[in-house]
Amino acid sequence: MQETGTPAASEPVIEVDRITKHYGNTLALDEVSLSVAPNQAFALLGPNGAGKTTLMHILCSILQPDGGTARVAGYDVVRQPLRARKRLGMVFQEPSLDDRLTVYENLNFHCLIYQVPGRERQRRIAEVLELVELSEWRDRLVRTLSSGMKRRLEIARALVHDSRIVFLDEPTVGLDVQSRARIWDYLAELRKRRDLTLVVTTHYIEEVESCDRVCIIDHGRILVQGTPEQLKAEYGQQTLRVTPRDPETAAEILAAHPDARSRGEELIMAVAGQDFVDRFLARFGTRVSLFSLESPSLEGVFLSLTGRELRDAAASGREQTYAFGRRGGEHTR
Amino acid sequence: MEAWGLLEGVYAIWLREVKRAIRDRGQLVGGISRPLLWVLILGIGLNPFFRGEIYGEVRFVVPFTYLQFIFPAVIVLNIMYTSVQSAVSVIWDREFGFLREVLVSPMPRSLILFGKILGGTTVALFHGCLVLVLARFVDVTITWDSALRGLGLMILLAFGLTSFGVIIANRIKSFEGFGVFANAVILPLYFTSSSVFPLDPSLSRAQTQVIYPEWLVDVVSWNPITYAVDALRGVFLDFNQFDPRVGPIVILAMAIGFFAIALWEFRRS
Repeated sequence: MQETGTPAASEPVIEVDRITKHYGNTLALDEVSLSVAPNQAFALLGPNGAGKTTLMHILCSILQPDGGTARVAGYDVVRQPLRARKRLGMVFQEPSLDDRLTVYENLNFHCLIYQVPGRERQRRIAEVLELVELSEWRDRLVRTLSSGMKRRLEIARALVHDSRIVFLDEPTVGLDVQSRARIWDYLAELRKRRDLTLVVTTHYIEEVESCDRVCIIDHGRILVQGTPEQLKAEYGQQTLRVTPRDPETAAEILAAHPDARSRGEELIMAVAGQDFVDRFLARFGTRVSLFSLESPSLEGVFLSLTGRELRDAAASGREQTYAFGRRGGEHTR
Repeated sequence: MEAWGLLEGVYAIWLREVKRAIRDRGQLVGGISRPLLWVLILGIGLNPFFRGEIYGEVRFVVPFTYLQFIFPAVIVLNIMYTSVQSAVSVIWDREFGFLREVLVSPMPRSLILFGKILGGTTVALFHGCLVLVLARFVDVTITWDSALRGLGLMILLAFGLTSFGVIIANRIKSFEGFGVFANAVILPLYFTSSSVFPLDPSLSRAQTQVIYPEWLVDVVSWNPITYAVDALRGVFLDFNQFDPRVGPIVILAMAIGFFAIALWEFRRS
């Protein structure tokens, strides 16, 4: 299929300019602006209620923004929603398959409503099924599939109309560790096979590490944007772990560094200043049995920016989201 | 090319509705048992009592048996049940997230709704046709001409009632609620449509009011289903209680009116 709407390689494929959205008195998005370059994997990271899903829903044009503009593949999502939708694939947070139809029927339905030409339909369906390793399940009813398989099928479905932009809203939530890893394997494999821009929201920090760009968002505002390395360099904290050889050394280290925490034999302290490590080694280098310098993690970046643990906020946040959904809120639309 | 693609999209939505209905055995059982119950048991049971007789005195001659009389009404009943029930799939889509899959697609909302209602219409029409199979047991002769005219009216009626079901479904939050509500709407509409008891066609309005209380006569004459039943009686029994033009016009008006309301609501949400 021709990608008529795709801009030249250097131009951003998604442009969000000062998007604002209210729910009653709650400000869900506050003048959010961002851009995603083609073939990037772009991660939106934030606690629940931060506005990630709202932003996703505006970008796939099922929700109208109160202000600002957003363009996907060169099309304004408010004024030309049908053209924008044709070029993007969407994987929602909650399942959206018809589980009384078979795997094949779900994909064929999708091809028909996305106007995939008849002669290409069978080939594409076979291709995506092979990619997510569901070929053998082609004629099974979706309700007989495990939740990991359903997720894979939804990813296959988001790709089957040859979309070059795919939004994934919490693609791995509720899955076991194995299935989560597999889903990321498929996404990596896909990016090798075709030009693909991914926009992903997630709670799992370790999944974000593999993305090209990370955008941390909270209370409807963007806090920072950058590559994972940039963010870690700028906001992260290096930590030093040492195991002293004897108790005297331990006492001496504690005296010199009152902020150090001890965990069993180990002492953990924050690296402050550039020559901190050199000075430490000059003084105690010969008296420690184990010495390790840990690079900053995104988890630490997130914590220092939002003041919250991501995972804990997530658990209760999801409950709230579900409750909100049952009342007929945003997520059920 | 664009238009063909959209047509295929409508076909996909229609096909999904039909497939789901075929796989749902319960719906089919209802579609078969309902006419059997109404025609074979109620119809045959009440048949001997259906005479133009009041207080032992024959006042008027009825030109058909009770079985014949109830036959077109049972067609309407079967269509009505299936149409309104098909709107359950609207709730299902909403609750289980499938609606979003359709809403982010490049299909315009009007065509999504049209395809969905067309699917429900097809299933309801099929259930209406199940009643036609009983025609020979109730001494109703169906000619090619009456079959075609009847089918035309049944399609329009099913379309209008399915749209009506969608309008109801938009206001109902749960499956359980829908079942109760659907019965609370369908049965009164059916009973007051001059279907099971005759507001006898051979009587004038003044004469009718002698036999029935005035409020009942009013309710029946305000109920649009009355005219749908009358239209089908006109086709299958060649007997109309009202002006023969009224029935088809009411059916057409329901189809257009309910679809317009459903569309307006669907676009707004």
